[in-house]
Amino acid sequence: MRLFWNRAGAVARKEVFHILRDPFALAAALGLPVLMVIIFGVSIEFNMKDIPLAVNDADQTRSSRMLLDRFASSGYFGVRRVVSPQQGIAELTDQKARAALVIPPDFESELISGRQGQLQLLIDGSDNSTVGPVSNYVNRIVGAGAPALYDLRARYLFNPELDSRWFVIPGLTVVIMAILSILLTALTIAREWENGSMELLLSTPVRPVEIIVGKLAPYGVLGVIAIAFVYVIARAVFQIPFVGNLAVFGLGSLLFLVTYLAQGLLISVVARNQQVAMQLAMVTGMLPSNLISGFIFPIESMPAFFQYLTMLLPARWFMRIARDTFLQGSGLIELKVPFLALTFLCFAMIFLATRKFKRDLEP
Amino acid sequence: MSYSCAEVGMADQTVIVRDLTVRFGDFTAVDRISFEVGRGEIFGFLGANGAGKTTTIRVLCGLLVPSEGFVKVAGTGFEQGDRVIKTKVGYMSQKFTLYNDLTVEENLSFIASLRKLDTRRYVEKRKELLEFISFDRPLGTPVRDLPGGTKQQVSLAAALLHDPEVVFLDEPTAGVTPASRNLFWKLIRKLSAAGKTVFVTTHYMDEAEQCGRIALMREGRIIALDTPENLKRVVFPGAVFEFDPKTPLSFAEVAAIEHLDLFTFFEPYGLRFHAAIREGKDWDRARPELERKFTIRKIEPSLEDVFIKTVEGKKR
Repeated sequence: MRLFWNRAGAVARKEVFHILRDPFALAAALGLPVLMVIIFGVSIEFNMKDIPLAVNDADQTRSSRMLLDRFASSGYFGVRRVVSPQQGIAELTDQKARAALVIPPDFESELISGRQGQLQLLIDGSDNSTVGPVSNYVNRIVGAGAPALYDLRARYLFNPELDSRWFVIPGLTVVIMAILSILLTALTIAREWENGSMELLLSTPVRPVEIIVGKLAPYGVLGVIAIAFVYVIARAVFQIPFVGNLAVFGLGSLLFLVTYLAQGLLISVVARNQQVAMQLAMVTGMLPSNLISGFIFPIESMPAFFQYLTMLLPARWFMRIARDTFLQGSGLIELKVPFLALTFLCFAMIFLATRKFKRDLEP
Repeated sequence: MSYSCAEVGMADQTVIVRDLTVRFGDFTAVDRISFEVGRGEIFGFLGANGAGKTTTIRVLCGLLVPSEGFVKVAGTGFEQGDRVIKTKVGYMSQKFTLYNDLTVEENLSFIASLRKLDTRRYVEKRKELLEFISFDRPLGTPVRDLPGGTKQQVSLAAALLHDPEVVFLDEPTAGVTPASRNLFWKLIRKLSAAGKTVFVTTHYMDEAEQCGRIALMREGRIIALDTPENLKRVVFPGAVFEFDPKTPLSFAEVAAIEHLDLFTFFEPYGLRFHAAIREGKDWDRARPELERKFTIRKIEPSLEDVFIKTVEGKKR
């Protein structure tokens, strides 16, 4: 056992020398996550403001003007007047408006006679992501003017103002760290194959698991430092509250990092070539953690098969840990399923990387 | 006598290979080769690229599992596991395998840790080996700043840290200056004198001449194995002559001479030609005719002649 740690320690020490001798890579490893969180944190915004809305008011009455005032003063919409419904549609096709509202000539007289006032809303359906918020806002504005049957009072827990940054940034941390950690290690073993030093390693009695563990340790430390930087940015720059237990978040980060680092090593072991390893890292690290981890698209709305498939994705589990520790203050008990899943995936990945590590030198 | 010759022989052999075969898929890289190498011997492997030299060496270093056959290196074999073999042998690849961004000391101490040397033993060994290769730069010199020849020497020191009984050197002098090559061969002879078995592959004929015995490999097989002197004697039993053209010859003229049926061997050697006379041919009568075009003198065949005749000659 002592010998195991000696050898793994020697590999780790050597890896630290490599990292320290390459200041550019070191700066990239620590600086890029911070930079990406800042750039994407500022640019990704689900709350929409000043949505251009084409309005054709054929009624021109007090009621219609009151309705339009509510639209204009809500802050969600910028009203653009048009003279006909056709012109409203033209605004949509010209991308000058996201939606068009048509108020028919008999709007007020219908209301006065006790019937429902008819309104038509035309929404640009070619951009799915805006349809939801637009119709949601319109309903809220229009609904406020009508007498309600029920008194529904909704409060948003954990994120009272529905600030989308609160939702995006913890998730963004996950995505960025997934990409970073997989890239950090994906190149290391492939590099040893390419520059010949793998032959030196293999000509000694070192075991694959000693190489794997030795390579995981220093990059794990590097990843934790990067995640700490990102955490500080989230708290200080974006003012995201953190209500959970920092130790729980830290433990989750470590497990998650090591899992992706091991996945990077697995790629490296299989690819033996830095270019191929790089591409594999991008495809297996970046795309799934972005698209099917629940970062933006909810897992519950995926087809059943994909919901199960995402269980193999470490990012899915850490996404929950990150969001729940940040906003809900969940502890280990509430998060036992994500933690168990992540632990399992972590060991599975280390095992696979060790097993796939070839000790012979076939050409 | 209570011991058979074979048993006595076995006791002194550090490398024993019987019917070794290595296949990669359909391709047979090494095809049923057998040989033995004695303790303290300098054993050379000669052959074109792809002849199977590196593959054989990798098997003997525990880096490649043989498809068939029996291998014993320094008293161990694959039955004991490749890791046991690796503790007994030193290996220097034809690629430069040290880390360029680490210093000499960092490289050596890294390998020492992988080989479980304790600190005291490592420091002793490092001192001894750096003296052995006459390394006179600071230990903190990054390896990338060393000249090519010194890099090779440090690689050799790295391969010797754990005091292996056998060292395998795969084209150790490829790409270094002639002076560095000479120096490196001095080290090889010193190792051999100190009782280490040195197994070396090379492309250089002058290096091959310095080996105790040489195995010539072609297409995965050993086609000749003996001391350089014996190889020359066996391959060229008759006299060998050097033909120095008095005036430049055309291809047609050379071809005409090659087809005279007077020679078993007629090959260019620089601007000259080396030729071996076919037995029973009346050389004395043919000679005056040829001397009109060439200055002819009797020579000792070189190892290159042996190599060309045995390895390349058979392709025709």
